[in-house]
Amino acid sequence: MFSATATATSLDALVTTLGQWGRFLDPAILIAAAAVVLAALAPAARRFLPAALGALTATLVIGEVVLAWFHLRLWDLAVLVDPVTGRVSGSFAVPMWIESEKLYVWALILTVIALVLRRHRAELQPTLAVAAALLATGALVWGRPFAEPLPSFFAQYGSYLAAWNSGDVGMASGAFQGLEGSRRFYYNTWYMWVHPPLLFVSYGAFVASFAATVLMIVKRRSSFEQTAYRWARFGYLPLTFGMLIGFPWAILAWSGESWWWSGKVNMSIMMWLLYTAYLHARLYLRRSGMWRVVAILAVLSFVALVLTYVTTYVVPGAHSVV
Amino acid sequence: MAEKTRIPQSGSSAAAAPASGWDFLLMMLTVMLLGALGTQSLIGTLYAWWGYRTQPGFEMTAYPAFIAVMNGIAGPLVVALVVVMGLCVPKRLLARRTLAAVSTVMVTVGVVTAAISGSMATGLAVYLGLAALIQVAVVVLTLTGARSLTYVSESRIAKSGSGMLHLGFILLALVVVALQRSPYMLPVFYVSAALLTGGSALAFYARSSSRTATTDEEAAS
Repeated sequence: MFSATATATSLDALVTTLGQWGRFLDPAILIAAAAVVLAALAPAARRFLPAALGALTATLVIGEVVLAWFHLRLWDLAVLVDPVTGRVSGSFAVPMWIESEKLYVWALILTVIALVLRRHRAELQPTLAVAAALLATGALVWGRPFAEPLPSFFAQYGSYLAAWNSGDVGMASGAFQGLEGSRRFYYNTWYMWVHPPLLFVSYGAFVASFAATVLMIVKRRSSFEQTAYRWARFGYLPLTFGMLIGFPWAILAWSGESWWWSGKVNMSIMMWLLYTAYLHARLYLRRSGMWRVVAILAVLSFVALVLTYVTTYVVPGAHSVV
Repeated sequence: MAEKTRIPQSGSSAAAAPASGWDFLLMMLTVMLLGALGTQSLIGTLYAWWGYRTQPGFEMTAYPAFIAVMNGIAGPLVVALVVVMGLCVPKRLLARRTLAAVSTVMVTVGVVTAAISGSMATGLAVYLGLAALIQVAVVVLTLTGARSLTYVSESRIAKSGSGMLHLGFILLALVVVALQRSPYMLPVFYVSAALLTGGSALAFYARSSSRTATTDEEAAS
């Protein structure tokens, strides 16, 4: 028998436990991130960079394991029941890269890339390590994945429990309908388990590509261009596949909504077009002066990536959190 | 300094055939059209952002007109991109003079179909269907190892990837242009997604199996 009060109590206890983990993990990650920045920026401490980066990776991975446990418990505890029929509709398989955890996953991926990269390691690793450390810091300061997990989900599920407890069947039914739509077309859809991580992997690769492009422009060494291209082509595949699988999902989930040409979709298309143009132009690199065109396209593509990410939080519309 | 940068990569072969002016022109046209569509996306997003901030109820009142304007601007660019792609696709199979003749016939058939049916989408669909048929032939010939195709690469994997990639683009364009309300939309889309992804993987990642590095990249052109 479903009890909204008991469920709310269990979820409160779960969030409290996660917060207790956060009291240990937040400072550990922040200290590791500070060590990474210090080792990357201070030449005297540069030899400690791999160790600091390893520590940051380890703390982020431990945090990710804790978050995985949290999501598993959430699957057990947060159940959706139809208040009219009493039928259990299902649980929530909340993806591990949405809301408060988005920046965290991106930071983890970039940290791993900074750790494992081989070509131009000495030149690229400090830049990528600092970027990863800043992302990790941002993930904890703005995302707060341990202190305030999944705020939108808990707000929505909390409203559903409150409506259930109110005794008003009509209100509870309305809350159920809204949450059931989110469960089926957002939280539990396979697409949300595949699309975001693919894009975060591509974003991480594009950060490495951009860093190498900047080095190529500054130092005028063709080998940096090679490295930039390798990371870009590595990122292009998950970007293409990730965006493609969004198309049938969008048709189904946003049926009736004006999603075509909405801000985030627009910018995502722009980013993909520019990376396509970059990789295409790069095929003719041997032509006189083409390296400039390729460099400009590489920089513009990365600017488009940043704008795409920012658009989610600035421009209203489908695929937006404004 | 720039000379050092112009050198494409350490493993490149000086003997690899330089890209022809025709290939380069097609590539630059493609890049410009992609850039123009990207610029349109940016301007459209900025306009929507401004609209949401300054016009109450923007989504209910002005959004349909915004979409119509965006479609109106994107339409000619997409048509031009499709035509350039249509010119690019059979270049593997045909000599340039034959290619020009075949491309002219394809464009003419598309235009005539659009005129007769009164639908630009139908004309484009016919044009894309012809381009897809030619590209299917290119892919089949590549996979069977035919020597008549004018690839620079010696890697069959990279060549196959390039062929699949172009076929995937054509099918995706076909989905957007003509199949959005068709029951075949999703199956064709999934085929195009598989071709685009698999083709990208083969074209861009087959380098290690190739005898030279640069030629693989040119195979993807």
